[in-house]
Amino acid sequence: MLSRAAIGRQAQRAAARSWQHQRRGLAEPASGSFQYQVGEAQGIKLASRDLPGPVATLAIVSSAGTRYQPVPGLAEGLERYAFKTTSRRSTLRIQRESELLGSALQTYHSRENVVIGAKFFQNDLPYFVELLAEVATMTDYKPHVLNEEVIPQMDLRHKKYLSNPQEMAINSAYGIAFHRGLGVPTEAPSNLAWKKYLDAENLADYASAAYAKQNFAIVANGVSQSELSKWVGEMFTDVPSQTSYQLKPEQTKYYGGEERIAHGSGNSLVIALPGSSSPTGGFYKPEVAVLAALLGGQSSIKWSPGFSLLSKATQDTPNMFIDTKSTIYSDAGLLTIAMTGSASDIQKSAPKVVEALKSVAQGIDKEAFAKAKALAKFKELEYGQETQAAMELTGAGLVHGGKAYQIDEVAKSVDGVTEEKVKQAAKEALEGKASVSAVGDLYMLPYAEEIGLKV
Amino acid sequence: MSVPSLANFIVKRPWLRSWMVPLSKWYKDAAGYRKLGLRSDDLIPEENEIVQLAIKRLDAKEAYDRVYRMRRAFQCSLQHQLLPKPEWTTEEGDYQYLSPIIEEIEKERSEREDLESMVIKKPQIGSKTHHGTMK
Repeated sequence: MLSRAAIGRQAQRAAARSWQHQRRGLAEPASGSFQYQVGEAQGIKLASRDLPGPVATLAIVSSAGTRYQPVPGLAEGLERYAFKTTSRRSTLRIQRESELLGSALQTYHSRENVVIGAKFFQNDLPYFVELLAEVATMTDYKPHVLNEEVIPQMDLRHKKYLSNPQEMAINSAYGIAFHRGLGVPTEAPSNLAWKKYLDAENLADYASAAYAKQNFAIVANGVSQSELSKWVGEMFTDVPSQTSYQLKPEQTKYYGGEERIAHGSGNSLVIALPGSSSPTGGFYKPEVAVLAALLGGQSSIKWSPGFSLLSKATQDTPNMFIDTKSTIYSDAGLLTIAMTGSASDIQKSAPKVVEALKSVAQGIDKEAFAKAKALAKFKELEYGQETQAAMELTGAGLVHGGKAYQIDEVAKSVDGVTEEKVKQAAKEALEGKASVSAVGDLYMLPYAEEIGLKV
Repeated sequence: MSVPSLANFIVKRPWLRSWMVPLSKWYKDAAGYRKLGLRSDDLIPEENEIVQLAIKRLDAKEAYDRVYRMRRAFQCSLQHQLLPKPEWTTEEGDYQYLSPIIEEIEKERSEREDLESMVIKKPQIGSKTHHGTMK
């Protein structure tokens, strides 16, 4: 997910994904170039950042996330089928070879992108460019691999999803906000997706569209542009430029509304408001990031609830998790306030949260605003500096508009945000319809109307 | 499970092939399973892991047809009868639907064994790559 205002989420992900543990060593300069160099080889868009250090990261970022899938389950299937049998190598061989080279293979998907990547020693670049080329162009989509290896994983993931009320609530809020397209849940909400829609044949079709020239970009860290374009030029020779169908999105439209889902374990309430697109998209509003930092909920420092309005508003319910995120996509975004905890805590706090939001539209405390701006900028830069997030944003930016995600520029645009703009953003968000999703004990959890939101 | 076969040896030699093909046709007919509506792949013993997995990998129609053929043949066998002639398996109908899958699974397994018994060579001084090699 393209979230940037969430330390908590980031930390969870960092624990789950080893390739995020990339940190600067002591011997390296404190300020390298964080600008991506953009190029092209064989008609494929490339971006690379020559960071010093022994480890390089390489990824294919294909705009084939859940937003683009014609039927449910394809994006997830594509992600989980990566690095499996190709016409040259078997799954096992790919695993053993990459183990021998000492590397990490990573795949994940978000609403917009499927990212297939690897982390490895810089010397091994040719091997991994070849491997990614094989994954993109030579993967054999076989029914038995799908049935024996991919679908059981999807089943387990599905069970995990069902046991997580917050994830359900956030996905439901997206569904309410954007309906189809961006609103499609990142994890299939029922196993109907692979019982009815997912099969090897349409997965192969989807893959050929996902890995067509205009639809993906290759992003690298710790690799020089010349090396990268040389090897990509050599290995990515069979990439089709025409496919049977194209993954073309429609401009996302915000709807809004309310959804309530009963759930036996755990409670979550998500309030979502229209947000900002990514800087490479056309509807970029840096003030939304500042608004998210101002509302906050989770503190980025120790031993203090922090300055943020929501952590102050919910001081009576310290056991409830609350966080605000501004999540950005290529042509739209969503500002989400997620509350997870006991039903009574949520019932008590939800009206206060809405009050805090309304108070921003009235006026903002000078000091809190300055802190929020600093935090928004910090999070932006920190997020962009992390290899993984920057890679996905850069790749998506290249595919959609030919622009890489340059964090310096993003930071500058956050500097330009004024109090007036944030107030305006809050006012506009409150005037429109909100998207409210409640998952859990529906007797206790409030309706949007009750906490003072329009739906 | 697949069995050792001379087929490749014979196919490579046209003179031998021209001898053997009629002989094999005669033999398959004489074996009698076609008169019970079976295919040669139906005769592969299925009581082992590999064939069980291969049967699971059949697509729905093939799997259904396989069971149907077997039940029909079993019934014929009980009644000490042959099928009426139009229902006999034809030469075209007697294709290999299971053996290719079995071979694929055996290939996967032998690859795993090869990789398991792999000897890793230490990288040579001066060479950039350090791949393992298969025995």
